[in-house]
Amino acid sequence: MTALILDNVDLRIGSESLFDPVSIVVPPGVVAVVSGPSGAGKSSLLAFISGTLPVALTSSGRLVYGDEELTELPAEVRGIGILFQDPMLFPHFNVRGNLLFGMRAGGSRRERRRRADAELDAVGLGGFGDRDPFTLSGGQKARVAILRVLLAEPRALLLDEPFTTLDNANRCKVREFVFSEIARRGLPAILVTHDSGDAAAATGPVIRLAPAEGSPR
Amino acid sequence: MLTVSLMPALAGLVAALVLGLDGGALQRVLATPGVGLSIGTSLWTGIAATVLSLLIAHFAVAAAFTGRWRTRLTALSLPLLTIPHLAIGIGLALVIAPSGLLMRLLSPGATGLERPPDWLLVQDPLGLSMIGGLVLKESCFLILILSVALAQVPATRLLQQARTLGYGPLQAWLSVVAPALQRQIRVPLAAVLVFGISNVEMAIPLGPDLPPTFSVLLWRWFTDPDAMIHAQAYTGSLLLLLINVLALVGFFTAGGAFRFFWRRESERGQRRRCEAPQRIGIGVGLTVGWVIGTLAIVALFLRAAAGAWPFPSVLPALQHGETLRDVLQSILPVARSVAGSTLLLATGTAFVTTLLILPAAEKAAHDTRLRGNIGALLFLPLLVPQMTFLFGVQVLLTRMGLDGTYAGVLWSHAIFALPYVWGIVASARSAIDPRYDAVSRTLGASTLKTYLQVSVPLLARTLLLAIALAFAVSVALYLPTLFVGAGRIATAATEAAAASGSGSSRLAAVHAMLLAAAPLAAFALAYGIAATLFRSRTGVPR
Amino acid sequence: MFAATLLACLFSHSIAASEPDLRDEPELARQAAGQTVYFNAWGGDFAINRYIDWVAGEVEKRYDIRLVHVKVTDIAEAVSRIRAEYVAGREQNGSVDLMWINGENFAAMQHANLLWGPWAEELPNSRLIDWQGNPTTRIDATLPTGGYELPWGTATFTLFYDREFVSTRVRNPDDLLCWIEAHPGRFTYPQPPAFLGTAFLKQLLILLTEDTARLQEAPGDDFQTLSAPLWAWLDRAHASMWRTGRLFPRSGPAQRELLAAGELDWMMSYNPAEASRAIRQGLLQDTVAGMVFSNAALSNSHFLAIPANASAKEGALLVANFLISPLAQIQKADEARWGDPSVLDPNLLTAEQLSVFERLHQGGATAPLPKRRVPEPHPGWSAALERAWLARYTR
Repeated sequence: MTALILDNVDLRIGSESLFDPVSIVVPPGVVAVVSGPSGAGKSSLLAFISGTLPVALTSSGRLVYGDEELTELPAEVRGIGILFQDPMLFPHFNVRGNLLFGMRAGGSRRERRRRADAELDAVGLGGFGDRDPFTLSGGQKARVAILRVLLAEPRALLLDEPFTTLDNANRCKVREFVFSEIARRGLPAILVTHDSGDAAAATGPVIRLAPAEGSPR
Repeated sequence: MLTVSLMPALAGLVAALVLGLDGGALQRVLATPGVGLSIGTSLWTGIAATVLSLLIAHFAVAAAFTGRWRTRLTALSLPLLTIPHLAIGIGLALVIAPSGLLMRLLSPGATGLERPPDWLLVQDPLGLSMIGGLVLKESCFLILILSVALAQVPATRLLQQARTLGYGPLQAWLSVVAPALQRQIRVPLAAVLVFGISNVEMAIPLGPDLPPTFSVLLWRWFTDPDAMIHAQAYTGSLLLLLINVLALVGFFTAGGAFRFFWRRESERGQRRRCEAPQRIGIGVGLTVGWVIGTLAIVALFLRAAAGAWPFPSVLPALQHGETLRDVLQSILPVARSVAGSTLLLATGTAFVTTLLILPAAEKAAHDTRLRGNIGALLFLPLLVPQMTFLFGVQVLLTRMGLDGTYAGVLWSHAIFALPYVWGIVASARSAIDPRYDAVSRTLGASTLKTYLQVSVPLLARTLLLAIALAFAVSVALYLPTLFVGAGRIATAATEAAAASGSGSSRLAAVHAMLLAAAPLAAFALAYGIAATLFRSRTGVPR
Repeated sequence: MFAATLLACLFSHSIAASEPDLRDEPELARQAAGQTVYFNAWGGDFAINRYIDWVAGEVEKRYDIRLVHVKVTDIAEAVSRIRAEYVAGREQNGSVDLMWINGENFAAMQHANLLWGPWAEELPNSRLIDWQGNPTTRIDATLPTGGYELPWGTATFTLFYDREFVSTRVRNPDDLLCWIEAHPGRFTYPQPPAFLGTAFLKQLLILLTEDTARLQEAPGDDFQTLSAPLWAWLDRAHASMWRTGRLFPRSGPAQRELLAAGELDWMMSYNPAEASRAIRQGLLQDTVAGMVFSNAALSNSHFLAIPANASAKEGALLVANFLISPLAQIQKADEARWGDPSVLDPNLLTAEQLSVFERLHQGGATAPLPKRRVPEPHPGWSAALERAWLARYTR
């Protein structure tokens, strides 16, 4: 059980900072919240953490998991999963294929399929394995996306407004499911949101991104 | 616009059917020595070149777009993309022949050879040199098509998603972005396959002989004075159509199977830890290909300038007292004899296609489905082997008294330029925010004024490139110019093919040089103007 | 009856009015002024193309005729185009006005009545042609030209070799085969049906067959037996030839470039002066020399013809007349330009013209004149040899 630590993280376009430097410690099983006006750099901060920062942005500061320095590592070895607002299911796989692509390697084909189907069952999507992701409802897609990222066994989880596209009924259920999984697995998590309900449901510290001094944004 | 494009193609096809359905001729076609091997060679070279080009294009795009070569890849592939097949083919033959540029660079130092060895490298029976030539061109074309298709696919987010699941950039791209791109490029890919199987532009300089590829066989029959053999060309062109249809069906079925296995492979969840060897492999492969392609262009210029060029000197020596001016004096009249017609047709084609495309692009600006349908329809003539419908087109135009006229040839060139110009202009037009239009109208500007002062300037950069592209397509067209021009309209392409088909490589090189230079100049000009337009306006779409 | 005669008269008169009068040069020139003449001629050689360019300049100056050289790979292309025009019903205003032609292409056009004529022996300058001394001016591959073709130049089948690498004397096919087998990969010939390739087959056939008179008749059932020695020779030679006989250069110039690049030690041509000219132009090393099979050198003339549906017959006639003028023939015979032997009778030239001809420098690589010339076999042989060659050597 290890914490995710942001130490004095500063993102710049050219010489202009997007926001005042951010420092935060997210303990395992806790969901921290990042909020701020649109354009404040919330998504850029998540991109920095996940390792997919666009080349136009430069960064300073450190990202640490426990005592492991992650700042310079490429995205795929950080072990930090991310859930986007759009579930981003891969259109050329069926539902099960999406899960299998996310699942860690190992096991025979049959075992892997059985495991994927079991996971689908557990979230009320039993028998959906062969479906085209395009035909799923918003809530169903969200659940598949969550399963997919969890099957990759991440060490930490980033949530980029993943609940905003859902209707109210689904929203609570899905959020509840995600947060309980985070707690159960002891993952440090960071949630970016506009929504006060989502923010309130989270238990961790809240960071408000403030535009940096002199920044036009 | 669709009438311009589809009517002659359809009519030509019907005419070819009428002329070609001849049992006696079919028997003679099938009794031609080596015809089976000839058809087999066409299929093998066309399919192998298409598969290789597709793989190379995907690898190149994957490596470049997940690394730092994003813009450089398109810039570097531009020369090979714009220089016509025929010129690349003639140049490549000059590079890889036993007395070619590569052996000269290595001899006698590395090989110890004072005289060129007797190796069957160019026009080899397996068609490997021809496949190489096709791959040089078609992979660049597919790279362009893939980069254009990227706009239709949320590539960045798909890539991010896969990478945060623990996949390296290359593997992530190939597992989730490439399959999405692949869906977008099926029609152009089919055109590549059809061209690969039925072209003569690469087959003449690089293709095997005894027997040649099937399309070269048809081309020879078509020019035979014997009426019986001439009739075989019509029937053979229908056979070529059939072969292409079968190849397309086979290719896309096999493609489906490949996709299935590729998915299954991805579903194993195996994460590759280190991608450096793959990246280096792709980089080295692309560099070698690019260097050979560039050498081919260099070889054209050297060969055009060289009178005698004895092995193993790398640079052609000027003969006793000959000056560079003498060389130019022997080249210029040859180039001048075709420069006028080539440039006239190319400029005309660029002008006509752009004028046809603009109103249609306006109409389809915010109608994705209409845009897609028009694009697919315009591509249809490219899915029929050129020979098949050109035979018919020639007979029709002769009846109409349009054969051998610039108007007729221009028409045929427009058919081939339209799909490419459409692809670029229509998508650029649709990408312009409709609110610009609305704002202008609410400010009191008329529809026309809005169009001319808002839409067209916003499109200007794309239009320039589209014009250059139409120009390049026209310069490259050989068979349409030959058939519709009735041999009376000589362009750099027809002269280079004639010289390469049976003549001196120097003569071919002079024309091929012009073939290479004209589109390069057009693109340089287009980029030059585009760069100076709205230089200080960051927001104008590029 | 009377009406019919009148009609016939009117008809024939109208024909006569549309037909140019060949002997009346000023009237011809008046009608031809401003015409564009599409001259379909093989365009595979720099020097020949440049010569035709020069002709275009001259006829523009003299007659205000625009001469366009339509460069064909093989004149057969033009033949098939004319045929297509007739299929489409275009019996006038055809796309070809003048063509450089001989052999089976002439036979094909003559057979299908696609040529206009007779005109060749009625042109003002045609009286200068050596009709008597050179029988190939009236007989094209055993077919009488009947005035439908105007001789333009003469030719003798010639082999050229690089003296630096060929030291033995080659007088007959056996000598040649010997050399080929001793020097693998250094000999080849243009791929039939390229005309030089077919010519090589005909030359070999003439040398390998006892009965050369038989070749003046069309081949029949005896083709197999008569050509058997030729195939035996080729089968053996191919095994030791360039690319082991699996690939052939596509034309004479292509072969010449291979010789220049050092891939080959031999080339061939119908023009005995070809190598001298090429050496002078810096296209070939100066160690190349020429030879003919002296006892039976294959010889022919090449011709000009006018299609029946030509658009600019007057212009074509004037161009043709100019092409056989002493000036044009001298320029053509000059190795610095083309080096193609003249068809004119030296006895009919003025002393001045004759001295210019005699002063034309002859290069060291020009082959000596043969002791005996053999005319082209019947065109049926070309077709039969090409068919058999393709059937035998296509994989």
